[in-house]
Amino acid sequence: MVAAVLHTPPDIPVEEGRRIPGNKGIWVGITCEIIEFVVLFAVYFVARAHFPDAFHEGAQRLSVISGTVITLLMVTSSYFIACSVNAIRSGRHRASVLWLVAGLIVALGYPVAKYLEISWNLAHGIDGSSGIFFTVYYYLTFNHLVHATWGILGILYVLARLLFHGYSAADYTGLEALASYWHATDIIWLIIFPLFYVLA
Amino acid sequence: MDTKIDHFRLLTVAWLALVALTLVGLGLGEWFRDARWLPLLVAAIIWLKGALVARYFIESHLAHPFIARLLRGFIAIAPVALILTAFFGDTLARWATL
Repeated sequence: MVAAVLHTPPDIPVEEGRRIPGNKGIWVGITCEIIEFVVLFAVYFVARAHFPDAFHEGAQRLSVISGTVITLLMVTSSYFIACSVNAIRSGRHRASVLWLVAGLIVALGYPVAKYLEISWNLAHGIDGSSGIFFTVYYYLTFNHLVHATWGILGILYVLARLLFHGYSAADYTGLEALASYWHATDIIWLIIFPLFYVLA
Repeated sequence: MDTKIDHFRLLTVAWLALVALTLVGLGLGEWFRDARWLPLLVAAIIWLKGALVARYFIESHLAHPFIARLLRGFIAIAPVALILTAFFGDTLARWATL
């Protein structure tokens, strides 16, 4: 009789002192997110190379205040969530909860600011059919909003677990995984912001 | 890495730097709107802000080499593409024409 033996794959060797922030699963997701946005940015740069004037003029019609507010909301919520991880590492559960709540409140400002921005755009006659610049602007920024929405749902889930002491100084993998995803989404916005709002 | 060390001060400095770079970038973009070298400056600021988030918030320098390389590569792609588009836009458009 031939017996099939399943061998568990060996762990990926980790260099001395190197670690995986959060867990492997979230980094598979973040890698997919990064690949998706690399493709979207490639479309942006090809369109920009073909229509430099449309991109020059289009950026001047967008609300710079909206873009700046969203940027400040993203970096601030990222900072608060990093502080939440920092607090749980040293066993300060209450501080970790408060930082995460602050991160959630600030993160919720993003969809609100985006709604106001879209309303402002529509009032000024800017929609998806206003030209190549605005088509690229809408699909890239909406895509980012979708990813941020997953992040906000993730914050809610992690906050619920944290409130019930699901994380501690000994095990905070889930909280750090959520933080890693949110920081990656923050980096993507930090690229989007100057491409659409600063390079006028 | 000793995860018990309190990094609050480092995180705060990184956040303040991100806010400052955002506002400085906006100001410079407004003042030097037509400068030919503006894309270079914007590319540098994009890279710097991405590197700040990766290093201080994600701690990429302490992360698995794949994660460190992934973030390093992603943060560099947009600035490089921006510079290429700004200075070699016609060539890029020709190559990307079907």
